[in-house]
Amino acid sequence: MAATQQKSKPTKKSCPFDRTGVRYLDYKDFPTLKPYIDYFGNIRKRYYSGLCLKHQKLLKNAVERARFMGVLAYRK
Amino acid sequence: MPTLTPSSEDVRVYEVAIMYQSDLDQKAESDLLKETAALFDEAKGRILFQDPWSKRGLAYKIRGFTEAKFVISYLEVPPENIRELDRLLRLQKGILRHLIVIPPAGYEAVSFEDRYQTWLKTRETAAETQMHKKEERLRQTVAEHAKRTTKRMESKKQAPVEPLKAKELDEQIEKLISDADLKL
Repeated sequence: MAATQQKSKPTKKSCPFDRTGVRYLDYKDFPTLKPYIDYFGNIRKRYYSGLCLKHQKLLKNAVERARFMGVLAYRK
Repeated sequence: MPTLTPSSEDVRVYEVAIMYQSDLDQKAESDLLKETAALFDEAKGRILFQDPWSKRGLAYKIRGFTEAKFVISYLEVPPENIRELDRLLRLQKGILRHLIVIPPAGYEAVSFEDRYQTWLKTRETAAETQMHKKEERLRQTVAEHAKRTTKRMESKKQAPVEPLKAKELDEQIEKLISDADLKL
């Protein structure tokens, strides 16, 4: 029988915006928004993005504004 | 870059983004910008900072256009006039879309060109830091794996008990057999 693979313990992700003290996410700032959007143009879930609730809400706001102004696509 | 703070308590800072056609000729474009400036004046707005973007591709077609030009202007407007300004901008011909946003207190207005230049400088360093992080993570996993394997090896060495030698066993059995007290 194959030896069972030992998994590392799950660790809690820390919010990258919390670490840098971000207070506002700008809808015009494409490079900061891009990593939190998947291939189809959807906003990544908090489970995957690793953001805190406050910054996830700011992100949602920024992405929706960017979509309205044609900076980001609604759906690819 | 200017930090946006309202000059008095009666006014508030607003960020007004305007999107218009990219294929307008120079005269039409300047007329449009003048008209929007007149709208700002009508709303008793004072322009703090303006950032005209060059022609940009859109993520999807808006009114049949795949490219558009943007003007981001930061205004000081009395809050009671902003609804009227919004309505007038919606009615203005030539404007594809507009968006009025309240920037947070102490917001630093940065022009698109400056932001792009800083991004160009920091982009490489960001990639490098990611590479370093990946390498560190790999190193840690390799070290942990080595630790685990050494632990396993040590535990395997300690576990097996040495079997009693055959001679000793024979002696012990003989002792038991020869013992007169035991009635086997």
